[in-house]
Amino acid sequence: MTAQPTKAGPDFFRRLRVLVVEDSPEMQRLLTALLESMGVGDILIAHDGARGLAAFAAERPDIIITDGAMTPMDGLEMTRRIRASGAWDDANPDVPILMISGHAGRENVTHARDQGVTDYLLKPLSAEMLYEAIVAAVSRPIHFVETPFYRGPSPRRRLDARGTGE
Amino acid sequence: MTQQIVHSRLAGREAAAGETPPDVRFIRVPSIAERKLGPDYTAPMRLDPRVLDKMQTTIRKLESKYGEALSAQVSMLQLLVEPAAKGDTEARGRLYALAHDMRGLAGTFGFPVAGRFANSLCIYLEKCLEEDWRDGSVIRLHIDAIREAVDNPGTDPALTMETLNALERLIAANGARWKDAG
Repeated sequence: MTAQPTKAGPDFFRRLRVLVVEDSPEMQRLLTALLESMGVGDILIAHDGARGLAAFAAERPDIIITDGAMTPMDGLEMTRRIRASGAWDDANPDVPILMISGHAGRENVTHARDQGVTDYLLKPLSAEMLYEAIVAAVSRPIHFVETPFYRGPSPRRRLDARGTGE
Repeated sequence: MTQQIVHSRLAGREAAAGETPPDVRFIRVPSIAERKLGPDYTAPMRLDPRVLDKMQTTIRKLESKYGEALSAQVSMLQLLVEPAAKGDTEARGRLYALAHDMRGLAGTFGFPVAGRFANSLCIYLEKCLEEDWRDGSVIRLHIDAIREAVDNPGTDPALTMETLNALERLIAANGARWKDAG
C-alpha cells in the first residue's frame, strides 16, 4: 500500500518552534493568533532585528517570520547576519526566513533574496498566503550555497513575492 | 540523515581580476518535515483545508475588533498632522508607525482600500523632505482618503481608483525634487 502524503496539520505543527520578529503589536497579535490556529507548538516573539538575532541564537527556532522595516535593526540586516557563513555554528543557520513586507518593488524582493531571505510575503497578509509559505518552508529540502562569506539560499535563484500587495 | 555537499568553483561571489574565485559548496539539507518526522514523513506535504478554515475564522474573529481600532487610529492620524507639520519628531514617528500598521493590517481585516491609501502614505513619508512635512497637504489628503475608506467602505471603486491614482501622481511629481535633494 502506498503511504499517504503527510498532512500539514496540528499533529505536525505542534512540533514547530517559530520565531516572529515584528515591532507592531497588532501584527504580532495577528501572527500569533494565526500560528496558534495552525497548532504551532512554540511561538517566540522578538520586537526588532537585534532581539530576533539573540532569540535565533538562544532558541534555535525552526522557522523565522520577520517584518522588513524595524528599528534599530531591520529584518534585512538580521537576515544578513544570520546568513554570515560560520557565524552561527551552535545555532541553526539553515533556518528558513519568511519576510513579510509592504514593499512590492522588484528591487525590494531582489535585495531581500540577496540577504538570504527564503520567501517574501507581501502585505496585506492572508491566511492562505501564510499557511502555504510555512508548508513550503517545512516540506521542501533546503538547498543552500556556502561561501566563506555566506551560507543560505542561492542569491542567484528567482524569488517572486507571494501576494499582490493590494 | 546527512547533508549532501558538492564542491564547486563555478558560482558564488564574483571574482575580481586576478583573484581566485572562492570555494562554493552546494548543500542539500533534509526538509524540516523529514528531520522532525523521520520515516513517518511522506512527501509531498498535503495542505489541510480544515487548518485554513480555522485560520480564516481566526481572522474573522479579530476583524470586528480591528474595525474599531482602525477608526480610532485614523482619528489619531488626524490629530498628529498638525504637530508633525510644526516639527514634532515624536508626532512624525507615531504618524508613520500608524500608517505602517494600517498598510500591513487593514487589507487583511477587510479594509483593502484603507490599506492601499495607507501604503501610498507610507511611500510618501519614506521619501518626503522637511518642507513636505511642514506643508502637510499631501499627508492630509491621504488621511482624508483613509477616513473616507473606513467610514464608507462601499464607495464606488472607480472613484477610489481615481483618488489613489491622483495621490500616486502627486507623489511621482515630487520624485525629481526629492532626487535633486539627494
